[in-house]
Amino acid sequence: MKILTCPLNGPRNISEFVYGGEVKDMPDPNTCSDKAWADYVFYHDNLIQIVKEWWLHAPSGYWFIAERHTASDEIIKTYDPSEIYNTRIEFSTQQEERA
Amino acid sequence: MNMSDTQPSLKRSLLYRTTTGEHYKQQDGGMLVAQFSANDAEQAKRCGLLDLSVARRTGLRGKNAPSVLSEHLPGMANTSVIQANFAEQLSTGEWVLRLGKTEYWVLSSLTGTNASLDALDQAASQTADCYPLYCQSSHAWFVLTGDYISEVMAKLCAVDLNERVFPVGKIAQTSVARVNAIVVKQTYQGIPAFSILSDSSSAEYLWLAILDAMQEFNGQAIGADVLTV
Repeated sequence: MKILTCPLNGPRNISEFVYGGEVKDMPDPNTCSDKAWADYVFYHDNLIQIVKEWWLHAPSGYWFIAERHTASDEIIKTYDPSEIYNTRIEFSTQQEERA
Repeated sequence: MNMSDTQPSLKRSLLYRTTTGEHYKQQDGGMLVAQFSANDAEQAKRCGLLDLSVARRTGLRGKNAPSVLSEHLPGMANTSVIQANFAEQLSTGEWVLRLGKTEYWVLSSLTGTNASLDALDQAASQTADCYPLYCQSSHAWFVLTGDYISEVMAKLCAVDLNERVFPVGKIAQTSVARVNAIVVKQTYQGIPAFSILSDSSSAEYLWLAILDAMQEFNGQAIGADVLTV
């Protein structure tokens, strides 16, 4: 069994974790093109390199970020998302108003 | 009294289909197994399993959760900051569990009126940056008691829960018998215990899985009276 170190709970079996996709900057949904939004939501770069990914520790419902090498599957480090995201994102109501 | 005598207005345990105690009592608007057999006291010390799913518990999350807790839970006044994945029993009897940076659960004292938990629920839904968590409905609450609890859990769970590395007050949020669970090391009436909080939809499965693991230690279900009276 592979072991992944959760920043909150410590080392745990990989079966306790759920992959959550690459960490990407969100484009402004009100102004970006459909292609840019689709790129953000659906597409992965899928390169051989160290990538930043969202992972969920399911028993505690805790989302964190892991840096992983996509070829060797080595986890370089894991950390709390507050190291990158420290403000709450408020979504504009522009779309609802238009409707 | 058995479960068929339960008044319709009282909550039934999640295990009402599979488990029947000898005596029930009313607790927090539900029917709790007070005594499972005449042997409960001895069984609890050796290896017992108790279903506290109807007993009161609540949770809250958010930046303001600590201030809501200290304002509405009188016992918090004498308590220092609780670290993540640790629990503490308050002077008023409740157990406060810190499950994350801003997430707290409160397990009732089993003996009090739990009015403070009602106040906590109300405050959590009325305070900005504080959100109530409905762990009363979402989770089952079992208590494994006795001298063999670490040995039983070693069969079900990958995390080392031995007393040497997992003292009273420590929490593990992990997989138990392949279902997600929160495991809290406690003592009730001087008896070592693990509270196991797990998804209510798999309560029956987990109950039977734990009982199965307890079999080699002559483990058996117990009632709540032995831990509270």
